[in-house]
Amino acid sequence: MEQSEAMVSTREGQFAGRRRLVGLAAGVGLVLAGCAKNAPQDTFQPAGSNAREIDGLQRELFYVSGIVGLIVFAAILYAIIKFKDRGQDIPEQSHGNPKLEILLTILPAIILAVVAVPSVAAVFKLDKKDNDCVINVTGQQWWWEYDYVQGSTCGGVEITKSIVTSGELVIPAHTDVLLRITSRDVIHSYWIPRLNGKRDAVPGRLHTLRMQADQAGIYTGQCTEFCGLSHARMRQAAVALEAADFQTWVTNQTADYVAPEADTLAATGEATFVAQCSRCHQVNDLLSPDGTPVLAEPDLYVVSGAAPNLSKLMTRTAFAGWTFDLISAECRDKLWNAPPDEFGALYLQGVTPECFDEANLRTWLRNAPAMKPMYADPTKLASTGGKTRGMPNLNLTEDQIDELIAYMLERK
Amino acid sequence: MFTTGSKLFFGATALSVACAVVFAASTGGPTGIMGTVGLLSLAIVFGFLAGINFFNADGNVPGMQQGAEYTAAAAQPPVGSSMWPLVAAVGVAGLVVGAVSTPVVFKVSIVVVLAATAEWMVQGWSERASADAQYNAGVRKRMLHPLEFPILGALGLGAVVYAFSRIMLSVDKESTPWVFMVIGALIAVGAFVFAGRRNASRSTIVGICTVGAVALLGAGVASAVQGQRTIEEHPTTSGSALCLEGGTEVEIDDHASQDVSAKSSVIANIFLQSNDVVIARIPGFTDPEDNFSTITVPRSADVGIRFHNDSSSPQRITARLGTFGDAAEVVMCTTVVNPGKEAFLSFKIPKTNAASSTPLELVIPGVEGQQIAIVVP
Ligand code: HEC
Ligand SMILES: [Cu+2]
Repeated sequence: MEQSEAMVSTREGQFAGRRRLVGLAAGVGLVLAGCAKNAPQDTFQPAGSNAREIDGLQRELFYVSGIVGLIVFAAILYAIIKFKDRGQDIPEQSHGNPKLEILLTILPAIILAVVAVPSVAAVFKLDKKDNDCVINVTGQQWWWEYDYVQGSTCGGVEITKSIVTSGELVIPAHTDVLLRITSRDVIHSYWIPRLNGKRDAVPGRLHTLRMQADQAGIYTGQCTEFCGLSHARMRQAAVALEAADFQTWVTNQTADYVAPEADTLAATGEATFVAQCSRCHQVNDLLSPDGTPVLAEPDLYVVSGAAPNLSKLMTRTAFAGWTFDLISAECRDKLWNAPPDEFGALYLQGVTPECFDEANLRTWLRNAPAMKPMYADPTKLASTGGKTRGMPNLNLTEDQIDELIAYMLERK
Repeated sequence: MFTTGSKLFFGATALSVACAVVFAASTGGPTGIMGTVGLLSLAIVFGFLAGINFFNADGNVPGMQQGAEYTAAAAQPPVGSSMWPLVAAVGVAGLVVGAVSTPVVFKVSIVVVLAATAEWMVQGWSERASADAQYNAGVRKRMLHPLEFPILGALGLGAVVYAFSRIMLSVDKESTPWVFMVIGALIAVGAFVFAGRRNASRSTIVGICTVGAVALLGAGVASAVQGQRTIEEHPTTSGSALCLEGGTEVEIDDHASQDVSAKSSVIANIFLQSNDVVIARIPGFTDPEDNFSTITVPRSADVGIRFHNDSSSPQRITARLGTFGDAAEVVMCTTVVNPGKEAFLSFKIPKTNAASSTPLELVIPGVEGQQIAIVVP
């Protein structure tokens, strides 16, 4: 390529020039593609104090390094043009120039020292420890579980009973929420780009990450530490609600179990659920026909020792690592684009019959590992003692699926 | 024609093929396949070299050339005696000894034999590579130094590290820092002295280095023979038989640090206060009023708590982690810690506390009516 400069008049040179143009256009196209306006996971659109802190720092650093970069490029360009080989004599060669070398050492040191001030300040600001809510966040292949500390208050709302949810983290807006992040199997990483940086979830350790959202709304993210087969389908979202709405949400989450009415499809579904699903999935306060509580024992069936709590499945908008929608695309767009003052009411409706996207849940129940790759093939589980990673195919009949969906629809 | 070099490589090819056949026939499974593939690859490489050698021939001399019988490379007398036959013989003897005694000797001998063979071969070849002895020596170096230097360097480094580690393990705990401070100081001073005297003779330096190396290796071997000092364990968790009993001073291990480094990573800090009241503080809630009597622990996750004994008597903390099904109650505890000290306890609870027939709680045996409930949702 370099040499073709000298033969611009030849055909080859013209082709080289054209190729270069095409390459340049493609490059610019790629860069511009990064500027999508409707990008829900954009760190450059911070929506909370912590994310704003990081964004502010990144901007300052970008300006400083940008100026330095411009100066360096200008100097290189100048040298390239000025000292281009025109057949002149090789200039005088010298070795060592203490004055220049000292200058070139001190100057970057000063620049780094200047840059260090906002960096260190940001580190301390992000590390503040006083919070109005603490939530345990536990990662596993391939979904996130949240549980709210019983007996604590979250944004002024009392958590009287444990709340366990998955995928969708519900937090009070304008509140400093501390996430205490750990993992049940491999290392994952929790990231809601518009609310804060990322934090690794490491088994045996508890890492803290603070979130605060300026406005009610939904903020998406995903696991950012490669964690196995379905890493790409390990997503999550934070939903921020105004205080009153958050209170409503907590009240609903801690409400007593409502059994389906007798002789309905959902009632049959409850029995099917107890028979097929409850060994892994907990539905709080569910009782078996003989009156004993039905308690899930995922530790016996799943490698991570956990499966999502389904007590309030239909208060969430997506499932299975927040990858598949529970609501139709139309309803989702409406929710995601709702103005902050309308968002809470819309979100608290949960999955309504009009919005319910039945196809996804149906496909999941027919054969979960076909929808989301998981190590759940019953013939290949020797190394895990028969336990699966993720949900296995349960070979349900279409009738069973109908019943289960009717039952699930009432879990809200 | 079959030159010396091509004969060597043809032989090596045939040997590799034979080895591959024997290995394939004798060893099954993945190891057999991998080994056979490896040996066949070796055969292919040798075959390739043999081919090149066969077609290019090596320095045979046209018979008509005047005086060739004196100047030809092959006519040169051997440069000197070679130590490699001796080394190879020692290696073979080692093989025999190793075969009837310890496998280590056998394995080391294999390495010795292989190394001696390679060196011997290259030396034999290089001494007749041309009629110029100096050139021949250069050729040998060019062939073998890239192998010898890294291997010998790694061995030397390994020996130094090994010797140091043995010495450190056998010197008693209190004097170790002093011993190594002195050695470090000696090395530093020695380096200064050397740096100051640029004209110190080469043999002096080599001599001092050799004495140092021999001393180090000698001390290392002596320490290895003597064995390491007894390294005491300082358990931080106790046998469950003791867990439900109160603290006794007898059990305290005063050599254990009784301070905990995992400060940020615990799910709760449990304080036994001076008034014998137990409280839980949950990291994240910093308000002094935020005292909890319940902690929420995710199931099936490894979590830790930190126990602070702020009372005036030695105490332990005991975790009663439930009775599931027909199994016995799971109980674990820290060792007794002194007043003002701390201990760490980590656990994993597989099931919800609703499934347990006994309460899940943290207790201080001997301190009545004080417990922190554990909720596993
Ligand atoms: C062997 C244990 C096991 C059984 C039995 C099981 N599941 Fe699951 N299920 C899982 C696991 C593990 C996940 C999480 C998979 C993921 O997101 O990657 C899951 C996820 C789900 C989800 C998504 C929940 C969310 O919040 O993301 C639904 C809905 C679900 N299962 C329904 C059912 C139903 C209905 C049944 C009974 C027919 C059932 N499961 C039986 C293990 C099981
Ligand atoms: Cu992950």
